[in-house]
Amino acid sequence: MPTRLSDRGGVAAAYAAGGVLVIAITVIMAWLVWQGLSTISWDFLTTGPAPGSLEQGVAGGILPALVGTMIVIAFGMLVAIPLGLGVAIFLTEYRQPNWLAKGTDTAIDLIFGVPSVVFALFGLAIFSQGWLSWLSNPVGDAGMATAQSFFCASLMMALIGLPPVVRSSQAAILGVPNQQREASYALGKGRLTTIRRIVVPGARPGIATGIVLGIGRIAGDTAIVWILLGGAVLQAPPDGWYLPWNLVDFLRSEGSTLTTYIFFSSPAGEGNSPGQAYGAAFVLMVVILFVNIALIRLSRRKIGKR
Amino acid sequence: METPNNERGNERETNQDDPGYERAIHQEWHHALDHTADLKAAGDPTDPTVVTAPADTTAAAQASPTDLPIAPTEPAVAPAAGTATAVVAGHPKHVADPSDLVLAIRGLRVSFSGNEILHGVDIDAPRGGVVALVGPSGCGKTTLLRSVNRLTELAPTASITGEVQLDGSNIYDRGTDLNLLRRRIGMVFQQPNPFPMTIFDNVAFAMREQAKSRPSRSSLMPAVEDVLQRAGLWGEVKDNLDRNALSLSGGQQQRLCIARTLAAHPEVILMDEPCSALDPRSTARIEELIVQLAGSLTIVIVTHNLAQAKRIGDYAAYLLNGDLIEQGLAEQVFEDPREQSTRDFVSGMFG
Repeated sequence: MPTRLSDRGGVAAAYAAGGVLVIAITVIMAWLVWQGLSTISWDFLTTGPAPGSLEQGVAGGILPALVGTMIVIAFGMLVAIPLGLGVAIFLTEYRQPNWLAKGTDTAIDLIFGVPSVVFALFGLAIFSQGWLSWLSNPVGDAGMATAQSFFCASLMMALIGLPPVVRSSQAAILGVPNQQREASYALGKGRLTTIRRIVVPGARPGIATGIVLGIGRIAGDTAIVWILLGGAVLQAPPDGWYLPWNLVDFLRSEGSTLTTYIFFSSPAGEGNSPGQAYGAAFVLMVVILFVNIALIRLSRRKIGKR
Repeated sequence: METPNNERGNERETNQDDPGYERAIHQEWHHALDHTADLKAAGDPTDPTVVTAPADTTAAAQASPTDLPIAPTEPAVAPAAGTATAVVAGHPKHVADPSDLVLAIRGLRVSFSGNEILHGVDIDAPRGGVVALVGPSGCGKTTLLRSVNRLTELAPTASITGEVQLDGSNIYDRGTDLNLLRRRIGMVFQQPNPFPMTIFDNVAFAMREQAKSRPSRSSLMPAVEDVLQRAGLWGEVKDNLDRNALSLSGGQQQRLCIARTLAAHPEVILMDEPCSALDPRSTARIEELIVQLAGSLTIVIVTHNLAQAKRIGDYAAYLLNGDLIEQGLAEQVFEDPREQSTRDFVSGMFG
């Protein structure tokens, strides 16, 4: 224990900061579990919302919202991961020409900082163009598109999922010791081989962290879902939406995610079924937690046998 | 009391047989130092002293039972200068023809952001020899070494002029295949730097060309075994090829790095203070390995350790503040330097 008073004060403050955080998180989690668990049932997870129902008890389940969250995560990251990794490699290994590298840096910071609702609004303007109606659905014969579909939402989601992937991968790539790059060059390997075989494998844990953060951002976003996926929360999805041959039609249609479901069914939204909201929030938390653990596990490759 | 006798014998033989050879070499390196001398003049095969003298030296070496005196159990920094003399006397045997230069560095200037590190350096590396680059910290040894496999230019601020001739052709010529060049001139770094892969994969990495046609493990195994044998590591790792290379000791890691370099079939291996991060025992093993590898390939080694340079070097070059001060037979540079500055350095007055 430090003897000086100011030191002791500092230690106490640090303890307090950590303690407050732990308590806050524990309370939130406990509250979610306590409130959410009572709602969760097999039916809650495997049925859609009852049409037109806004009341607790007859509101139905969250299946379309759960699937919707998975879809925007999957499609968003499908674009964000390769793009983000490419940008990170460009920014760390190439950085030529310099103006492009600097511009990219600024762009990533901007995307990170600007609220997603701004991008959602921009997306609405773009995706409602008639020639992009294949991403959603045409609006009558006005030469416009609805701009509300899983495709439209996922593309914008890719944008907000991108910065964490870039920044985290960038840090991880910079963390790969230069000695290893040089060792590879000194063995007569080119830049591309070195990046593919040495740099990216060495940066895997950091890249995985970036992916996890990106997924968290996408799963937590509400504005893009609201504007580019539609508020189709209490609508039951069309019959047979899960059939493979209906997939493209389904992805061009409106939908919902857990975040909009939570908003909608909470007393702050249009519904009055907080139980549903807690249940959905609990599921969302479990999904994110599961994805995090799985990805971090996968990224830690074990080299050889003990 | 066998060793002292041998040493005396060697000294005597050296004194009797070597002066002509040494003079010839002196002249050669002098020529090399004059920017006017060209390779052909230095390598005049009609000069009888050059051709005959090495044979005598070889005979002297064969007479010596302390051919490889660095047993693994011996401390690396041999305290007795006599031991070193014995080894050095045994060494030029690696060089069949001292005028056959595998590497000839001519007027090499390197600067970073306008700050010149090397001010036009000439170095000769006869084929099969061990060339020790010595000099105080910051004299440009490492930069020189890294300019021979063109790693220097990885730094965007580097600017390089002059020539590095590998088998007579300048590696800085336009159209040089960098990847091929770096396979022909391998490098072992100061800090052992195995990849975070298995032992097998570390060695196989150098052999595998393209991901499309990746050779199978079993087809690579004989070659992997061969280079691990040559690096003196096979016995220690043959049952653990699938272990993480980073689980090896520092000395083993460095030998793995040498094996990895050998896997690319280099003609020259550049070593940048390969033992400075190792304990004396591992150092001794690496030195032993260098002596074994010399002859079949050429080794250019940067070292801070003068005793090491004496033990393993056939030739030595002394650099100071980016200038080559002196180069020649290691024995001559260390025992009878021409320049006062070299004399000060090898006698430990500075550096």
